[in-house]
Amino acid sequence: MSGYARRLLLALAWIATARVAAAQPLPDGPIRAFDGRVVVGGEVTATAGTLDRDAYFNYTDYEHNALRMMRFGVSGVYRPAAWLALVGEVRSEDFNHPRPYAAYARVRPWRDRAFDVEIGRIPPAFGAFGRRPYGTDNPVVGYPLAYQYLTSLRTDAIPATADDLLRMRARGWRASYPIGSQTPAPGIPLVSGFRWDTGVQARWTTGPVELSGAVTNGTLSNPRLGDDNGGKQVSGRMALTPAVGFVVGVSAARGAWLSRTVTPSSGAAPTQRALGADVEYSRDHWIVRAEAIWSRWSFPTALGPSNTDSVGAIASWAEGRYRVTPRIFVAGRVDRLGFSTLQGTAAGGPRSWDAPVRRIEGAVGYYLERHVVLRGTVQRNWRDGGRVTDHTYVSAQLTYWF
Amino acid sequence: MHTSLHAACILAAVALTLARPSGAPATHGGTDSDPAVRSARQPAGTGAGSQRLTTGAADVAPAGGRAPEGPAVRVTGTIRGRVELLQPRTEPVSRPSVADVAMGVMHAVTDRRSVIYLDPAPRAAFDARDAPRVHLDQRNETFVPHVLAIVAGTTVEFPNSDQTYHNVFSLSKTKSFDLGRYAVGRSKSVRFDRPGIVRVFCDIHSHMSAFILVFSHRYFSLADEDGRYRLENVPPGTYNVMAWNESAPLESRKVVIPETGGEVEVNVALGRR
Repeated sequence: MSGYARRLLLALAWIATARVAAAQPLPDGPIRAFDGRVVVGGEVTATAGTLDRDAYFNYTDYEHNALRMMRFGVSGVYRPAAWLALVGEVRSEDFNHPRPYAAYARVRPWRDRAFDVEIGRIPPAFGAFGRRPYGTDNPVVGYPLAYQYLTSLRTDAIPATADDLLRMRARGWRASYPIGSQTPAPGIPLVSGFRWDTGVQARWTTGPVELSGAVTNGTLSNPRLGDDNGGKQVSGRMALTPAVGFVVGVSAARGAWLSRTVTPSSGAAPTQRALGADVEYSRDHWIVRAEAIWSRWSFPTALGPSNTDSVGAIASWAEGRYRVTPRIFVAGRVDRLGFSTLQGTAAGGPRSWDAPVRRIEGAVGYYLERHVVLRGTVQRNWRDGGRVTDHTYVSAQLTYWF
Repeated sequence: MHTSLHAACILAAVALTLARPSGAPATHGGTDSDPAVRSARQPAGTGAGSQRLTTGAADVAPAGGRAPEGPAVRVTGTIRGRVELLQPRTEPVSRPSVADVAMGVMHAVTDRRSVIYLDPAPRAAFDARDAPRVHLDQRNETFVPHVLAIVAGTTVEFPNSDQTYHNVFSLSKTKSFDLGRYAVGRSKSVRFDRPGIVRVFCDIHSHMSAFILVFSHRYFSLADEDGRYRLENVPPGTYNVMAWNESAPLESRKVVIPETGGEVEVNVALGRR
């Protein structure tokens, strides 16, 4: 039995034992104290799946497998006043030390206006997926490629030539480049779904329109607690709800993405620019969503011999969930991640700088209780490059929240 | 692969463990396995799983051993009193959504009232009657009323009076249903044929919940905001007055309605201070 399986067993046995010992069900709602001014909730997600030591399709920027993960999360809100809330969440993945996922102050300056300001480690203004609670709102087990799949780009090491970059195609799980850090390390996703950025955000809602804008230390690909990249990121989103259950959103972001250790001290800091569009429609027992993200990263100098000083990627996916009975639902997601082309010296013609990926995932879920969900999923991946070009994963997940 | 399959088997086994075993103690007023539900489904003394569950009052032996009067009895009594909730009420709150950019609002539930019912019920309680319709509204992201007491056969309408979607559902063993998402101005309905407690939720708003207590008879009363209740037209006999509140364990008091009728006062304190 592997260490992961042993720890998973221990954790699940602990949950089951605690339940029996307490002779009552686990709490099915948040815990409140001090007249409701303090509210604490939590989520435990145990995912068991097949190993992935060759293809790394589901590895995250914390080097965990999204389809084989034990995650604990505790979140809390303290409201000392009607206009102020202190919000935080700590998470532990695969029994690692807990990390602060969110920690910010939320301020509503005017009582009668839906205008809020958040300061600290804040939710992303960009896109729709990043704000959804994973355990209750993710229809399948896996993450969208844009929010999880590691490209071969790194923030602390950069290629000197196009060939340096092309050599790392499909090696986002462990990329290395001649400039900057010489230690092989994981690359970055288009948007990190596992970390939030630090900064200030404002949101204003009026009628069917919701506007949000943020200034943060990191970027979509590399959210940060401290600033190491010589510039701030500006991001924003506008969402429109023309009818109940129908939401359309557009997002944009621009920020310095490379660590100062690999950028020249003079000149403009290289940026990550991104645009996003998302749509959600729900009715009766259906919910359907789609999202597309375009991102482009620039380098300090052009990558010879292509004379290209930036590379791009486009991700798009659609997902849906249908509740068959009060306890059973089925869900699926189709996903695609493509990359811009680059001219190197080794290959005959232009090639995509990273290997394009396609993914399809289907899931069946069963509500044991309102707050205990069991999911089974099958995920198939294809990649136009790398040692392993396709792989199928089977996983089961148990989610409990309160 | 081998170890992960092992882990998957363990996961499935624990999932089954987490699923509530039948007869396990439950939160107060929270599930079908509560004493309140058992009492509502069947008269006291019949025991769990008794064949008397659906046979009606004709087979019912009251707690005092005397048969309740039939429909022809004209002398009746009244049971009235007050249910005092000793422990503080726990208001439902939203899960702390760290991803929610807006401040949000507090959703206070003010009508967490108690339900009082007779166990066993007089035989007349089971007479055939019309199937009524009642409303459980969805307003300001709150179910109104929060506690609904109905007789089996009642159809409950769930209108959406909000400007947002709601998705009313229940996983209760008494009645499992999912009405799906529907917008303001629309209403969907569910008929409740089996006695028991039904916990109702909204799939979209985690802080929304309500209780529907379904009785096989009509001798029940929803206490007012001060806890006062009144059960009228009770035939002479010996009964248990059961007091239910979601925040406290079920309590019972024995009461006798004399042959001459009259008014009997029964006060109940629920929970611990």
